[in-house]
Amino acid sequence: MNVLIPFSWLKDYVKTNAGIRDVAKALSEHSFSVEKIIDDDTLEIEVTPNRGDGLSVLGIARELAAVLPVKGFSADWVKKSFPVKKYSGRDKLKVKISDNSLVPRFSAVVIDKVKVKESPALVKERLSKVGIRAINNIVDVTNYCMIELGQPMHAFDYNKITGHEMTVRESKRGEEIVTLDGVKRVLPEGVIVIEDGDGRLIDLCGIMGGLNSEVDENTTKVLLFVQVYDPVRIRKSSMSLGHRTEAALRFEKGVDFESVIPSLQTAVGMLTELSGGEVSSELIDLTGTVYTKKHIKIDYEKINKIAGTEIKKDFVNSTLTSLGFVIKGSDVYVPSWRYDDIEIIEDLAEEVIRIYGYQELPNELPGGTLPHHTKTDNFALEDKTKDFLKHMGFFECYNYSAVPGSMAGHGALKVKNPLNADLEFLRTSLTPKLLDVLNKNKGYSETVKLFELSSVYLAKKGDLPEQPYMLGMVARGVDFLVFKGIVEALFEELGVTGDFPYEITEHSGAIISCELPFDKMVDSAGGSRVYSPLTGFNSIKEDITIIVGDATSFSEIVSVVSSTDVRVNKVGFKDMYEDALTLSIEFLDRAKQITSEETKGIRDAIIKNLDSKYGIKLKV
Amino acid sequence: MKLDLRSIKSEAKDELEKTPDLRSLSEWHSKYLGKKGVLRSLTSDVSGLTPEEKKELGRGVNELRSFLEDIYSSSLNSVTSIKKDKSLENFYKTLPGKKPEIGHLHLITQAIREINEVFSKLGFIRVRYPEVEWDYYSFEALNMPKTHPARDEWETFFIDLPEDPKLGKVVITPHTSNGQIREMLKGRLPIRMLNISRCGRRQSDINHVPTFYQFEGFVVDKDISITHLKGVLEYLIYNFFGKDTKFRLRPYDFRFTEPSFEVDVTCGICGGKGCRFCKEGWVELGGAGMVHPNVLRAGGIDPEVYSGFAFGWGVERVLMMRTGLKIDDIRYLFENNLKFLEQF
Repeated sequence: MNVLIPFSWLKDYVKTNAGIRDVAKALSEHSFSVEKIIDDDTLEIEVTPNRGDGLSVLGIARELAAVLPVKGFSADWVKKSFPVKKYSGRDKLKVKISDNSLVPRFSAVVIDKVKVKESPALVKERLSKVGIRAINNIVDVTNYCMIELGQPMHAFDYNKITGHEMTVRESKRGEEIVTLDGVKRVLPEGVIVIEDGDGRLIDLCGIMGGLNSEVDENTTKVLLFVQVYDPVRIRKSSMSLGHRTEAALRFEKGVDFESVIPSLQTAVGMLTELSGGEVSSELIDLTGTVYTKKHIKIDYEKINKIAGTEIKKDFVNSTLTSLGFVIKGSDVYVPSWRYDDIEIIEDLAEEVIRIYGYQELPNELPGGTLPHHTKTDNFALEDKTKDFLKHMGFFECYNYSAVPGSMAGHGALKVKNPLNADLEFLRTSLTPKLLDVLNKNKGYSETVKLFELSSVYLAKKGDLPEQPYMLGMVARGVDFLVFKGIVEALFEELGVTGDFPYEITEHSGAIISCELPFDKMVDSAGGSRVYSPLTGFNSIKEDITIIVGDATSFSEIVSVVSSTDVRVNKVGFKDMYEDALTLSIEFLDRAKQITSEETKGIRDAIIKNLDSKYGIKLKV
Repeated sequence: MKLDLRSIKSEAKDELEKTPDLRSLSEWHSKYLGKKGVLRSLTSDVSGLTPEEKKELGRGVNELRSFLEDIYSSSLNSVTSIKKDKSLENFYKTLPGKKPEIGHLHLITQAIREINEVFSKLGFIRVRYPEVEWDYYSFEALNMPKTHPARDEWETFFIDLPEDPKLGKVVITPHTSNGQIREMLKGRLPIRMLNISRCGRRQSDINHVPTFYQFEGFVVDKDISITHLKGVLEYLIYNFFGKDTKFRLRPYDFRFTEPSFEVDVTCGICGGKGCRFCKEGWVELGGAGMVHPNVLRAGGIDPEVYSGFAFGWGVERVLMMRTGLKIDDIRYLFENNLKFLEQF
């Protein structure tokens, strides 16, 4: 998540001689990436999801205090505090929390006699720099403190809360609330909400307040409200409502539970100062979850092993201290604002090494023993296949793994949460989508050849689907035998041996397709080759044209021809016109030179055999 | 006289056979058939001849003339037509060649090959693991808590299949990191894996596609440190982007690595000075990190003895960065418009 943090605001916390570009560079290399510098003052910073503490001026200032000295700049921490107000008064709030896990910490205080007006220029200017519209001094204070301290807060008009009663609970499906932005929101189940004494929903907790309890120009009494909510519920709710607010984004990353009261205090100080109000209630502070201090054993050697270079103990200690860790003996105590993020020694190593500087580490190639190698032919044969088809004029396509129902095929697996109806099923075949691509490229050329080499997904009971690699080929305007020839030539190229079964399908519109199980092809590829000794004798080649009789396939004819005589060396297909089939036959005698008289004899025998088996006659 | 005519005839014929071009041909013509040519000179002085002799000479000369004119015109024809053939032939050779119709490999295939080429030289072995995968390999074993945003239905595709009591739901793997666990569970060390595979995420806009390719480098051995990750990255970037490209590691956060980094390279457009296409001179290449001890444990490897690094980046993204191709909508890669594909 990106935050906007003005350098001028950071200086409230850190006095430094570094310029804004130095600050940006230091942050990018050691803490968070600075994406942009706006108007020479505001830093747009990408804060990583584990670092909710970085979503504030205070959080970035903490980083700067640790990082700038490493870069050779000064960084003096400026202590900031408001005088603690006494929390007392007659105003009360009745609070009921249905489930402590919803709101691990709940704090609030009432401030009376406020005067709602415009905020001072500095407040308005700073809010505008971070992209927040100034509204009035009360609302502005809550936003200002959220940006400065990272703690989202909310102000209610105390008198609009019926019975001064609050019940924190989960929503029921279909409940409604109109939020501050005037939008009526229908809630799903499980959103954290607050109900007042009248049973009205007055707050969409952690996301946005209700319009019915908002602070307006007539407000005189304010309930200031600082909480910690369950981050998971906040994320879920704000995602399903499609309402991602600054507050929600912070709550879902987790806020510093120990900063609740100090933040409230800061806000109270600022609010009373800007509005002339005064505290009129006790401090309401309900703790649902107790946090215990976390500590980790320091291991200097481990840190060095991860870094691959030696980092001195002193540097380790001073770095951790500057980041707010407390070292007692060999234990390192984790600051509350890093509670969710730091668990193990590797986490501490990251803290130390990033401040040390990744740039400072040497670059080395790993040595050691050879990695284990299991050779697979698939990748080499994939490359071969793709190159071959490319040279045969095919375009390679890549299609999505998911397809619409109409292209899914029988038994296709369903995607539970598809992006749209076009991506509802996992494909069981590559062909339907390739045909679709062919169709979409109708005007491209008369002849188009396409292929894709990818997995399909075939359901398998009680297990992951089978995910075989398939080779899908489709073409338009290509003769059947030419297409078949390409498939046969591909088998030859890959060394696919035996009678590898495949099927060519004809579709309307002179379209033709073939889908081959690539994994199985690989299995039968590269079989051992047979060498036939060369002979010094010449062969004789003759064409004969026959009238196809009762034979149903070419291979039937070939088998008769080749089995007629051992001197039939090769039988090939030459041409077919109507029912006249021309074969080219090569005769070879490996023992002596064959003569035309001999071939004539063999030819006659061939015709005789063909005739007796299939009623095939020589064409005259 | 007869002898004269005969020798002129054979001389002229011989000479004509040796004329290679139009110019010498016309010289030949004026020598024999011109106004001051040989034939004219034969009849220019007939004073000492009888009428009989004159008649005979006239007939002989006329015969010779028509013969010479014949052979001249046929020579002329052949010389000019040779010239015509020669120039046509030369022109023909300037025509474009008749190319066999060659197709096109998809950009993604081209990128995968380049990536594989670089890593294979470092001894990385290419593998591929399931694209439709158990939650366990894609998330749980990678140290991602149940509540991690990647595991919810807004970011990952779930398949409508019953949950396995141990391995959980079935998902389209959103990254190639499932290969880390599967590779480790083979139980063979050390590991230098390059896993290039199809992934899916629930997103579709000009910068994102629901199906995409990632490549994952994964090394596990004794004493692997950040310096080794940096060394491999330097080699990769040097070879893939060229020696003028610099890189840096930036702190980042991934669940399956600790420490985690984002790898930046200097912007190819401004050369690192900073422009509107980059962030202060740098562009993001992708994530990397040292394998989290929990991930090693899930792969059955003792993190006290072994350590490792990993990185997983988008093939399409890296390709665009290297080639500087500014494809305005990444979804074109999967639309298979032939007018798009034919450009690569």
